Parts: sequence; structure tokens; C-alpha cells
Amino acid sequence: MGSSLNKPELIVNGKRHDGRGFDQLRPLRIEAGVVKNADGSAYLEWGDNKVLAAVYGPREAMPKHIADPSKCIVKCRYSMAPFSGIDDHGRSGPNRRSTEISKVAREAFENVILLNDYPGGMIEIFMEILQSDGGTRAAGITAASVALANAGIRMKDIVYAVSAGRIDKHIVIDVDMLEDNYSDADMPVVVAPRNNDVLLLQMDGGLSTEQFSEAMRMVLEAGKRISAEQKRALEDYYKMAKE
Amino acid sequence: MRKIVFPGESLQIARRSSCTYNDGKGVCSSAVGLFDEERASLLPLEGPWQPRIDETVVGTITDCKNYVYTVNLSYYCRALIIGSRYGRQSDFEIGSAVEAKIKDIEDRTVLILSYPRALPGGILVRVKPAKVHRIIGKEDTMVRQVENLTGTRLVVGANGVIWIKGQQDGIKAAIKAISLIEENAHRQGLTEQVKVILEKEARPYTRNREQREGE
Repeated sequence: MGSSLNKPELIVNGKRHDGRGFDQLRPLRIEAGVVKNADGSAYLEWGDNKVLAAVYGPREAMPKHIADPSKCIVKCRYSMAPFSGIDDHGRSGPNRRSTEISKVAREAFENVILLNDYPGGMIEIFMEILQSDGGTRAAGITAASVALANAGIRMKDIVYAVSAGRIDKHIVIDVDMLEDNYSDADMPVVVAPRNNDVLLLQMDGGLSTEQFSEAMRMVLEAGKRISAEQKRALEDYYKMAKE
Repeated sequence: MRKIVFPGESLQIARRSSCTYNDGKGVCSSAVGLFDEERASLLPLEGPWQPRIDETVVGTITDCKNYVYTVNLSYYCRALIIGSRYGRQSDFEIGSAVEAKIKDIEDRTVLILSYPRALPGGILVRVKPAKVHRIIGKEDTMVRQVENLTGTRLVVGANGVIWIKGQQDGIKAAIKAISLIEENAHRQGLTEQVKVILEKEARPYTRNREQREGE
């Protein structure tokens, strides 16, 4: 979080610093099937975030001692490219932050992938952040979910992720880098939309019970638009393949 | 009427079929696929192969120990041919292509193959396993058509590996036809389209074949 001494004006004339309403998402565009060598892939642009996700597998679990004869192993790698604008996240490559995000993303996906369908196998999910502007874990998970569907991996749902935040008393959705750094709270959430199951919820800062309820309401509302875009990307890919 | 469905989408069917799951509220799709409302069946558009007993597979021998052959099926599970059961018929060289049937799936992770047959010569081509049923066609119509029009022999494995043998031009034409079928697997009337294209392109091979047969 940034210092409160040099906190910029995040709400200007009842709108957010970039002109968005409190419940407004940044422009979102997803394209499926962009990496030819991968079993499934997706490219996502969400505001100034640019993410490439690729899925390989199920393949033989390596090293062999990690193989589980009753279910599939999921490996997940979140990584920020060295040129992605990582000033606030330290060096590129494996670090504490990327290890944490890889872990929480893996656990979210383990809840929706039908692991028992691929005993002894391993599914690898890669999320590469090419350009970052806040909310990259949400962008990475949203893209990886499309990549999993594109790979034909059997799963219960196409999950989406989005961050809610609090700026003073206002609850906002889809926080960008500036809001992420200087807001009073931010809360990335991963949801499986079929039953609105929450697969991941992290929080930085504080929210009252009412503010939390309002944030969740906004997340679920925004989720409808994100899910629609995920499905549109997949539909477009298969339409193109058909033409 | 077929419509595209996504993982988690409710399907108006009473029983689970392939690529579906039941979450207590009803049957849902577990993959992106085309749902045929009349037949109540879901055809996945993409996805890894899920082996079933009695399916024909094609692969290459990668190892042999005590007459137990390990077969690479381009799949993450191990596949074995227990050679002692088949006597001399099972003298395979490492690196050679074989066709076999899945006899058993042990511990859900080891495929035991039966009726192994060596596939001498020829080349192996990989396709998406989800498209294999279209390459074979109804009652083998598509694969027979490609064979007849290109003058090649094809063995299509459910694991997405296809063995092709024939003259070089014929093999090229067959690969082109297979790629065409793979890319347009969701189109209807594909058998006729492939016939038209192959008749244009593969005319020389069929003529050669007819001449050979005449001789």
C-alpha cells in the first residue's frame, strides 16, 4: 500500500480517478486458443492488464513421486514478465508474492477441475502477466479459467475472479494499480458462478459487515459480465474453427 | 437442434452421460461441447482422451523387459503388452508401431493391451482425440473413403494416433484430408466435402491404384 501522506485523489466529482463509476469494470476482452503448442490457452486484456494463460495436460506427473493414483495433480504458475511494470512487486521471476498467488490460484482450480477423471496425471496452468495495472491475480485466474475450458479439461464451472475495494466509504469494483496502492481495502474474490461458490477470498485493509456484503453483491453482479465475456471468447474460438 | 454449452451449464437430461456431472441439483456439462437436445447427448469440442475397454489404440513400442512391452500411446498412463500371452506374434522391435485393443485398465492408471498387431512401415500422425470419431465416420465411412481416394491404408487409434501407409503422394493427400476433417469436425455433410476435395486432388493416386488393380 502507498503512503497516506502522498495519497492521490481517488474520487473526483463522485467518480473514480479514471472516470469510472463505482460498480464499473475496466474494458475486458478475452481471446481463446492463442498459443498453438498448448492444449488450451487464452489472452486477456482487462484495462491495462495484459495476461497470457496456457494449459498443458493431463500429462505424466513429474517428478513421478508426486503422482497420485486416485486423482490428478494441478500445478499452477503465476509469473510477471520483467517488463510488465513491476515497480511495486520487486524482482521478476519466482518470489514470495508469485509463490503465494500460484498457490491460491491452484487451490481455486482444484475445486472445479474433476480431478478424479485423470488419475495419476498432472495439469499445468501458466499465467504470464505481460503488462500489469492492478488486479493481475484476478486477471490471471479469469484467463486461466478460459484456457482450461479451451483445453477441454473436465470441470464443474468456468470460474472468474475480480477485486473489490474500499475508497473512504465507497465500495468499488475492479480496482486498478493506483486504487490498489492507496485504497483503504482491497479484496480479490474467485467465484464459481453456477452456485456462486467463493473459491478464494483475500483481503487487504478492513471492511465492516455492511461494506463486505455490498462488496460481495458488486462482485457477483460484475461476475455476470465477466462470465459472459469468457463464454463469448470460447464461442468465438469454436465458431472460427467451424468456419 | 444443437447448441454450444459450457462447463457448469444445466442440461435438460435425466441421466449422466459422458462429459457431464451431477451436483445434486441436476445434470450439468463438464466441458465445452455441442448439446443435441433431441438425442440428449453432449459432444465435447475439445478434451483429452479417456480410455475405455475394447477401444483400438495405436502407438509405438518404447521398451521391452521380460516380454512385457511398454507402448507410448501419447497419453500420460502407462500401456503394456504382456508378450508372453501372445507367443511369437508379439516379437516387436523397439520403435515399431503397433495396433492393439484395450483389454483392461489396472488401478485406473495402467492400460493392459491385447491383440497386438505390428504395423510395419508407414507413418504416425497425431490428431485431437475429440475428433477421432469424425475421422472414422459412421460405420467407418469416412476412413474408408480416405483410404479409397488416396490409395493408402489407415489405422485410426482412439488415442488420436493414426497410422498411414501408402505411396508418398497418397500419404500427403491422406494427411491433408485428415487435417481438413479435424478442423471442420463440427460441420455437417463432411463426408461429401472430403470426397469432392480428394477427388480433385487425389485423382492421380486412385488412377494409379486402379491401374495396379487392373494389372
